Amino acid sequence: MAKKTLGRRKFLALSATVGASALAACAAPAAPAAVEAPAAVPATDVPAAPAPTAVIEVATVAPVASGKPKGGTLRIGMEGGSATDSLDPRTYSDSVMIAAALTVMNGLVEFDAAGNPTGELLESWEAKAGAAEWIFNVRQGITFSNGKTLDADDIIYSIGIHRGESKSPAKGILEPITEIKKLGDSQISIKLASGNADLPVLLGDYHLMVVPKDFTDWEKPIGTGAYTLESFEPGVRLVFKNRGGYWKKDRGNFDMVEIRNIQDPAARTAALQSGEVDAVNRLDPRTVDALMKDPNLNIVRTKGTGNRFCFVSRVTEAPYDNKDLRLALKWGIDREQIIKQVYNGYAVPGNDHTLDALNPYYNTKMAQRVYDPDKAAFHFKKSGITSAFELQTSEGAWGSAVDCAQIYQESLKKAGITMGVNKVSADGYWDNVWLKVPFCAVYWGRRLSADQVFRQIYGSASDWNDSNWKVPAFDDLVMNAAVELDNAKRTEMYFTCQEMIAEDGGMICFAITDYLDGYSKKVMGTEPHARYDLNDDRISEKGWFA
Amino acid sequence: MLRIIATRVVLGILTLLAVSILIFAATEILPGDVASAVLGQGATPETLRVFRKELGLDRPAHVRYAEWFTGAIQGDFGKALTNKRDILTSVTPRLKNTLFLAGYAALIAVPLSVALGILAAINEGKLADRLANIISLATISVPEFFIAYLLILFLAVKLRYFPSLSTVFADMPFAKKLHVTALPAVTLTMLVAAHMLRMTRSSVLSIMSQPYIEMAFLKGLSRSRVVLTHALPNAAAPIITVIALNLAYLIVGVVVIEVVFVYPGIGQFMVDGVSKRDLPVVQACGLIFASAFITLNTVADVLSILVNPRLRHPI
Repeated sequence: MAKKTLGRRKFLALSATVGASALAACAAPAAPAAVEAPAAVPATDVPAAPAPTAVIEVATVAPVASGKPKGGTLRIGMEGGSATDSLDPRTYSDSVMIAAALTVMNGLVEFDAAGNPTGELLESWEAKAGAAEWIFNVRQGITFSNGKTLDADDIIYSIGIHRGESKSPAKGILEPITEIKKLGDSQISIKLASGNADLPVLLGDYHLMVVPKDFTDWEKPIGTGAYTLESFEPGVRLVFKNRGGYWKKDRGNFDMVEIRNIQDPAARTAALQSGEVDAVNRLDPRTVDALMKDPNLNIVRTKGTGNRFCFVSRVTEAPYDNKDLRLALKWGIDREQIIKQVYNGYAVPGNDHTLDALNPYYNTKMAQRVYDPDKAAFHFKKSGITSAFELQTSEGAWGSAVDCAQIYQESLKKAGITMGVNKVSADGYWDNVWLKVPFCAVYWGRRLSADQVFRQIYGSASDWNDSNWKVPAFDDLVMNAAVELDNAKRTEMYFTCQEMIAEDGGMICFAITDYLDGYSKKVMGTEPHARYDLNDDRISEKGWFA
Repeated sequence: MLRIIATRVVLGILTLLAVSILIFAATEILPGDVASAVLGQGATPETLRVFRKELGLDRPAHVRYAEWFTGAIQGDFGKALTNKRDILTSVTPRLKNTLFLAGYAALIAVPLSVALGILAAINEGKLADRLANIISLATISVPEFFIAYLLILFLAVKLRYFPSLSTVFADMPFAKKLHVTALPAVTLTMLVAAHMLRMTRSSVLSIMSQPYIEMAFLKGLSRSRVVLTHALPNAAAPIITVIALNLAYLIVGVVVIEVVFVYPGIGQFMVDGVSKRDLPVVQACGLIFASAFITLNTVADVLSILVNPRLRHPI
């Protein structure tokens, strides 16, 4: 994998030029609605300062000298919305509402193209030693669309609605927070139960949108964003109007923005080709090669930051409690073939953990596991397993999970391993199969930080540890890494974490898909982003018409 | 005859009542519960518990049914679990869109297929009959989304006569609506025309073998006059039933067309409700669909009675 030797920025730039490689690919177009916080990369570049307080440099949004042209109506056609959508941040689960929220509102923390946190409404921050107590500075001189000036109370309220008796998906992320205190109109402090150097990253979660204190009327959202909401028909369309004087220089360039829900990938493609929309998300990998030849279109590919597709075994249940069997299952999957046949080449191989190459802590030293029937056969023989075992898979896990499982079954067969494949009902898959059966298909979205990945998916305390892989040494390592402010040491610890999971864990993570955006040629500001497609779902504020 | 009609109407209402119970029961036994479906793969047990209580899912089913049904007959379907919007307010524009598209397609399809069916019957075995049969069978044999994609590819993407997105909005002028929805209307026409055409043709022809038709021929009447004035009135009942069935299909069975043309109808609304387990939404849509089906069938029954000369003039 050449990509592993590239720097992240260069990698992003390369990925953007989608040209030659005629791999098209299919990420199951029926993208599941429950895309849980993909998320971005941690990466507080904390200086290894001996001083008791580590100050974290925060880049503000740099004004670009040359003004960008203003005006026009940007029409975006998106998958990932539904007639059940609401603008209440506690209900967001998919792309349309994330993009809509970022058009009207601002978050606490933004991410740059490489995925590092930069200030948004929280302008800058510093951590006390041990990273258990933090001071955040609230950006000054910002007004809401109702005229109110942003202050610390608004920030505290906007975080507070996700805590306590709340059904917000962000509740778990905020669980470690023990206290949020107002230090003044422009400053708040946050205390954590235990140190976490990634707190600013966690505060970049897409649910954490800022509204005025005590705001509840989600039909008419008030925010600090570049636009105000004109109309909203859930599952059909959102229309926004520029409110002028946006606080981010050179952003918010369109007069109007229209987000249309277009669930069907073919309909999205046709709408883009016929010029009825200017931008679309989630192009079908199987047809994207043809679109690349269209001179009026600009296809933007972000490699390997999409969903992580896995088969997961519970290591506490026979026969998966046998480490050699797990190794055989990892060596015996033909990742390249699945990526070629199912994803048409628009995916990167997974290395048996769910961290992706755009995460700053991605282990670049660990060799990529490739299909090796001999090694698989060796470990299988060593395991001494003779009983039959089966993999449960379903369209309900993700659209092509059954195809992936069948290719897997064939590739194991070449290593002399017989695995049954049981296709189960899509309905209630997450209730009845996942976390319950010993071996099944699962996908994971991107998480905000390496810490979150390790705690949520592999931590002993997590309800979602779907491999039931509970290793105290691993938990300790993750705990220590979270308060380690020396980035070099921290990186080393996270490298070890990934090695432990890939070597001993119960998860076979075989592919991480690409994001494929389509734009008309006149839309500018379409760079790939480490977090989400459509330039971090912020194309309405970052883009402009040429 | 009035008694027959009254019986039909009462039967219709009873059917609706039975269906309402079935709908409620069916949504109760859907696998997975609404709380975990709404909150997705990322739900924690804690948030699930809070949400379930908030939704009142801890109360017994018959209590919830009674509340729901008394509300529904007064036009109050409650609020959606997911986005807290009033269901009636959300569903009304969707229902209007569906009826608009169904009406548009029916206005093309019904006259076209009945006329062609009669034409085919008059010209039985001749070229016109065969052509009508072959073309209608061809259109019904191809999956609807395939026709839809072909129309989009040629008429929207290549020639650009029509938009590929058929989304209509409340503030759109009527003429523009007709233009925007032309492709789905044509697709739907192709879908339902064959059934009605063939039923018209065969019911007219089956009457044609009756002795009184032979009598009409022996009187020296032309074939078209025999078909139109003697055979057709007696063949009307099955034709009306088939038209009603197809109209009902145009209202309740066009989710695929809605998805492909991005048309904001009630079908997609219900599918979204089902996938998020938004039970009040699913129940409301189910009840609306059932009402449409039952109403159309009752109307068809009544019309069949009215057009049937023997029932109209009971001895």
